[in-house]
Amino acid sequence: MIDTEPQLAAMLEERKARRTMPPYIPQVDGDVQALLARFFNREMPGSSVSGIARIGGGASKEQFVFILAAPGNEPRRYVLRMDALEGITETSRAREFEILGAFRDVVPVPKPVWLDARAEHFPTPAIIMEFVEGVTKPQTDGVSVTGLGTVLGDPLRDIIAPQYFENLAKIHNFDWTIAGLKHFSAPTADPKQPTRWLINFWKELLEQDAVTLEPVLRLATQWLKDHVPDCLAPCVVHGDYRTGNYLFDELSGQVTAILDWEMSYIGDFHADLGWLLQPVFGSNIGGVFRASDIAPPAEMIARYETASGNRVDPCKLHYFTVFNAWKSYILVSALGMRAARTAHNHQDVLLTFLAATGPMFVDDLARLLMMEESR
Amino acid sequence: MNPSVDDRLNSVLRALQTVVLPALPDSASLAREQVMLAMGHIQIIQAQRDNTPTFEQGELDDLLYMARAILALDEAPVGCARENEALAAAVAQTNANASPRQAAEAIRAAIDALLIAARSIDEDAYHAALAATILPLGRARARADREWFAIMGFDIELSGA
Repeated sequence: MIDTEPQLAAMLEERKARRTMPPYIPQVDGDVQALLARFFNREMPGSSVSGIARIGGGASKEQFVFILAAPGNEPRRYVLRMDALEGITETSRAREFEILGAFRDVVPVPKPVWLDARAEHFPTPAIIMEFVEGVTKPQTDGVSVTGLGTVLGDPLRDIIAPQYFENLAKIHNFDWTIAGLKHFSAPTADPKQPTRWLINFWKELLEQDAVTLEPVLRLATQWLKDHVPDCLAPCVVHGDYRTGNYLFDELSGQVTAILDWEMSYIGDFHADLGWLLQPVFGSNIGGVFRASDIAPPAEMIARYETASGNRVDPCKLHYFTVFNAWKSYILVSALGMRAARTAHNHQDVLLTFLAATGPMFVDDLARLLMMEESR
Repeated sequence: MNPSVDDRLNSVLRALQTVVLPALPDSASLAREQVMLAMGHIQIIQAQRDNTPTFEQGELDDLLYMARAILALDEAPVGCARENEALAAAVAQTNANASPRQAAEAIRAAIDALLIAARSIDEDAYHAALAATILPLGRARARADREWFAIMGFDIELSGA
C-alpha cells in the first residue's frame, strides 16, 4: 500500500481489479426504476417511486432524479448518484456521504439520505440525496456539456461573489476534529503528511492510468514530491470548488447548494485556491480574466483572506498552482482517457472531448516549473 | 464516383442533427448530450483531418528535437548510461515504428526512464540540465497542441483567437 490516507490506499488497490472488467453499459431509466422500487420496498415499505429522469452534466457519475412518495409524507424529489466502473475521478461514495452530512448546517449542501457504499443494492456504489432547486449557470450562458467556462455575468456575479467567498471560508474554518469523520484520516503525524499523502495519491493514479509518458508531467511529479510544503493547520479541502459546482437561484442569485464534494480531503487550504484560480475554470471578457467568473486572481485572494481570516502564502499558492495543473492533467488525460479506452464509463465521448484540455495543463506546468527554475 | 470521407461524415451529421436529435425527448438528457458531443467531435475531426498527418509528424519531430538536445548534454552520469543509450536507440529506430504516434510514444518512454534514473541517483546537476532542456521545448510543443485543439472551444486564451 502506498503512503496516503489508508482509506484511499485501499480504494486505489480495489480499482485495479476493475481494470479488466468488460465494457460498462449505461443504466436505462426502466432498470433504475426497478432498482429504486426494490430498494425502497425494503427501506420504506409502502412507498412508491416515480418521475425518474436522468440528470445531465458532470463527467464522472450517473445521476437520476426521482420522486419518492412515502406513507405519511409529501412526495419529495431525490437524486440517485451512482459510480460508473471508471471515470474522470476515483472517489468514495462513503466519504462523499459523510462529508455532505458533516456540512449540512455549515454551508448549503444537498442532504444525504441513503448510502450503498459496497454496491449491495445497486450495481455500483451509490448515494441518494435530497434534490435541491437551482442552476449551475445562467440560461443565457448557452449550451455547454463540458461544464467549463461558465459565465455568470452581471448582475449575478456581484450577487454570488460574497457567498462564494463566505462559503469557502466556512469550509476551510470548519472544525473537522470534532466532526467524527470516520472515512477520513487526520494527516497529523508531521507537517508534511497532508500534502505528501495528497501527492502520493494522485501520483499512484497517474501511474495506474497514464496513456502517455509526458516528460513535463514526470518533471512536475518529481518537483511536487521534492517540494512538499508544511501544513500546520490542516482543514477540509473541497477539492473542486469553482463556479459550475454550486447551484443558485437564477432570479435571486442565492446559492442553494455546494456540489461535487467527492474529491474532498483534509489538507492545505491553498489547494482549493490553486484550483479555483485555474484559467480553464475562468472567463476572459474584454481582456479581463476572472477566476470562476467571479474576480481577477489578486482580488480573489484578497477577498478570500478577508472572508476567512487565513493568510495566503504566495510560495504555497505557487506549489498548489503547480499541483492543480498536474491534478487536472491526471484527471482529463490519464483517468478520463483510460476510462474511455477501456469503455468503462457512460460518456466516453465526453471524456475524449475533455482530454483535449490536456495541453493547456502541460503548457501551464512547463511555464510554472520554468518560473521555479529561474528563482 | 466514390463518396468522399466528407460526403459520408456530412450524411452522418445530417442524420444525427435532423433525425436522431429531434426524436429524443428532453428527458433523454444523456442521449441528447451524447449526440451533440458526437456531432461536435465529427465536425472537429473533419476540420482537422487534412492536417492530421502533418500535426502528428510535427509532434514526432519536436520530440526528436528534444531527445537530441538531451543526448547532446554533457555526458550522462554512469547511473544513467543505460537509459541514455536507450534514448539514443529510440531516436535511431524512429523509422522502424508503424506510425509517428508510435515512434513518439517510444521516445517519450525513453525520456521518462531517463528522468526517473537521474532522480533516483540524485544527480542534481544532470537532472537540472534535463529540466532546463525539456521544459521550454515541452512548453513550445504544448502551445502547438493547444492551437490544434483550440477549435474545441474551451481554451480561453486561444479558442476565441
